Amino acid sequence: MDYSDTVERVSQKIVSRGHTVDKSRIEQKLKQLVEEFGVPSAEAERTVTNELFREFGITTEVATGAGDQKEINQFQNGEWVTTEGKVVALSSAPSPAIAQTGIFADKSGAIRFVTWSKANAPLMEKNKCYRLESAVVDEFRGVLNLKIHSGTVIKEIESLENIQPDYTPIDDLSPGVGSVKAKVIQEWDSTHERMLQSGLLGDKSGTIKFVIWRDGDVEKLTPGSVYSIFYALVDEYQGRLSLNLNTATVIPEDEDIEVTSGETSFSGAFVHMAPGSGLIKRCPVEGCNRVLSRQNYCPVHEIQPKFVYDLRIKGWLDDGRNARELLIQRENVEKLTGINLDQAQEIAENNPLGMDEVFLRMRDQVLGKYLSCRGREIEHRILVSECAFEAYDPAVLADLLNRAGGDE
Amino acid sequence: MNEQQPKTAPQKYSFEREPAKRVFAAELRETRIHFKDADDEKSPSYVLLPTGERCNRIFAVGTLTEKRKQGDQNLFYRARVVDPTGTFFVMAGSYQPEAMQQMARIEPPSFVAVVGKPSIYETPDGAFLVSVRCESITVVDKDARDHWVLDTAKATLDRLDLDGQTPDSARARAEYQADPAIFRRMVYDALAQMKI
Repeated sequence: MDYSDTVERVSQKIVSRGHTVDKSRIEQKLKQLVEEFGVPSAEAERTVTNELFREFGITTEVATGAGDQKEINQFQNGEWVTTEGKVVALSSAPSPAIAQTGIFADKSGAIRFVTWSKANAPLMEKNKCYRLESAVVDEFRGVLNLKIHSGTVIKEIESLENIQPDYTPIDDLSPGVGSVKAKVIQEWDSTHERMLQSGLLGDKSGTIKFVIWRDGDVEKLTPGSVYSIFYALVDEYQGRLSLNLNTATVIPEDEDIEVTSGETSFSGAFVHMAPGSGLIKRCPVEGCNRVLSRQNYCPVHEIQPKFVYDLRIKGWLDDGRNARELLIQRENVEKLTGINLDQAQEIAENNPLGMDEVFLRMRDQVLGKYLSCRGREIEHRILVSECAFEAYDPAVLADLLNRAGGDE
Repeated sequence: MNEQQPKTAPQKYSFEREPAKRVFAAELRETRIHFKDADDEKSPSYVLLPTGERCNRIFAVGTLTEKRKQGDQNLFYRARVVDPTGTFFVMAGSYQPEAMQQMARIEPPSFVAVVGKPSIYETPDGAFLVSVRCESITVVDKDARDHWVLDTAKATLDRLDLDGQTPDSARARAEYQADPAIFRRMVYDALAQMKI
């Protein structure tokens, strides 16, 4: 490994403060840390710099050097920067080691910042502008962050202009911070108590999952409405991106926008209706919505006698080459089976087989029939948004007759 | 996730269900070869269709013409389901309780949709019997039957068009030595009946 750049950087920091230092000594220390002790090179650089500063009696504040003044979109991992921008969001600190976390933005972009508790730095206020000297850019889970430590100088400055961010097309979002103008195209069942809302946002370019956690002051979005969302956190989990809106400024828009369907179509025979289809009971606890067992047991909230009824069909659609799992929700279940929720409840209550009777009647309506459906594919299962029985198409017959007879 | 996901294979997102092949009765009747891909007890078993594709499961729509209850302790149903080319022999035993109960409620004649697994038996006198172990059987209408005939005609022609280009197709050509024209004729005849 070549240390000459690093050595040069460290030596510059010393020399610029009126001291002289032997470069080979710097290199030796760096080399030892990196090669013998497996310290990452950025960390080794910091260690060596700090060690030399102590040795020369340079105080840390001056020590680290302010770094060049930069705009956010020019930040690179491991560098010390001075930057001016606005605190556009604050979020609750995930750990006692962190005093404050939020989003810092300028006209070029936005970045998540973290202020360590032990930095004893003054807390910043939302919507105020600051000059940060000697903050450190580093990477956490593949995303750049701005770290405010004890050496960082924070100065409040006059308001900056033009820091309204540009919208990013959903398809172009990358982990970090992003702003979009998007429409709420789906609202999903909540899977976690702490979750206020989750669902799908879409624009012309694509769709993305969004999450709002309860601990913030962001309110629920209305399905079908368009919003401008500034400074949401773009998280990545198992290769999929999602938007965390808790840091975001969310502004409802009056206009309607074009949205990609992002849906797949699949046609085939409905070859299996899985248990858990038909009339089901859901946990009534707000935000839970889990399906209860027959004994009204919710895996999280235990026995829930005041359950809420719902309809769904889970099963497999098969075109002879592939079998795809389907999840059909109430509205489409009612359309396909001709049994609505009230009727299903009535059947269940007035029948010795109870809810099984609903399952059987729905199975007889759907199983073995040709269906075509559209929907979003989520974890290899199609969440059906639209479906219908396929009608027999006699036009195909002539083509097939030609094909079958053509070769003789 | 779904209940059938094998817990031993977490790297797989989802359980892969064997597709239900569309095959006419006259072709299934000619099937002789069955095999497994691996020695593992749980690996799926296949029959090799004469038109050249492996098949673990079929989907067929036809007319239930006859149903008989058999056995004393081990009760099972034996049924005949007829398509434009011939007859499927469908069985539903106590290992398929759901299919048995469905079968019990259906009276011939009716159009039925059958999902099941094909198996090949050799009788002591050397004859072969191909039957379908029923996973489900439901009553459908004539539209569904007609739809299936077209679907199956297309699938059969698609298999014939592969013409030895896939390993399964090549193997079927070698093992069965059947003239593809026979199956093409079968498809044509099945379609021709639809015109009326």
